[in-house]
Amino acid sequence: NSGTGGRKRKSRWADDEPKPVVQLPDFMKDFTSGIEFDPEIQALNSRLLEISRKLQSGMLLDDRPEGARSPSPEPIYDNMGVRINTREYRAREKLNRERQEIISQIIKKNPAFKPPADYRPPKLHK
Amino acid sequence: LMLAPSVTPATKVVCLTQVVTPDELKDDDDYEDIVEDMRTECGKFGSLVNVIIPRPSPDGEMAPGVGKVFLEYADTEGATKARQGLNGRKFGGNEVVAVFYPENKFSEGDYSG
Repeated sequence: NSGTGGRKRKSRWADDEPKPVVQLPDFMKDFTSGIEFDPEIQALNSRLLEISRKLQSGMLLDDRPEGARSPSPEPIYDNMGVRINTREYRAREKLNRERQEIISQIIKKNPAFKPPADYRPPKLHK
Repeated sequence: LMLAPSVTPATKVVCLTQVVTPDELKDDDDYEDIVEDMRTECGKFGSLVNVIIPRPSPDGEMAPGVGKVFLEYADTEGATKARQGLNGRKFGGNEVVAVFYPENKFSEGDYSG
């Protein structure tokens, strides 16, 4: 917008619609919509919260005793010879997948839901 | 001074505050662009009689009302619509605050607001 260029340019007015005179703060909108009270969404939200907490806490994600474990898949190693798909890694991946899945479901029910920054919409093709 | 826009009685003159910076007004091309943008957009609300955008003097001295835009409408109806419609809109990234401006002050060329 230096003004030194051509004379034809876009108006400085933003295109957005004029705001209503009284505006509720963002956090209030969730309550007014009522959709947050949908029991299904509440269940999804609380599970999402639980998973996020687990992932961030750094605690052991797979604490099942050895006897209760199912057989491990074939090990995968990186080029340094370190195993990638450790039990812990797989547990984390599993939670991550569930987390993404839950977010997708919430979005489907409530398009106004703002997903966390690290959420990636599922690809349409495999 | 009028602090709350809602308390000010409706007049034919709407004042947009916090719209333009003195820097933008110095450049003639920029200035013309701004006037044109104002005419186009603000004319949608009613019959626009006059658009006044105070500029800093060429020596860089600040004049009263720099940064504001004054819109005079033919009637208070147009001015009222404009005040409502423009308040909160964004102009060049700035969030516009639109208030009514006293007609007598405006006609005297007093933009100190």
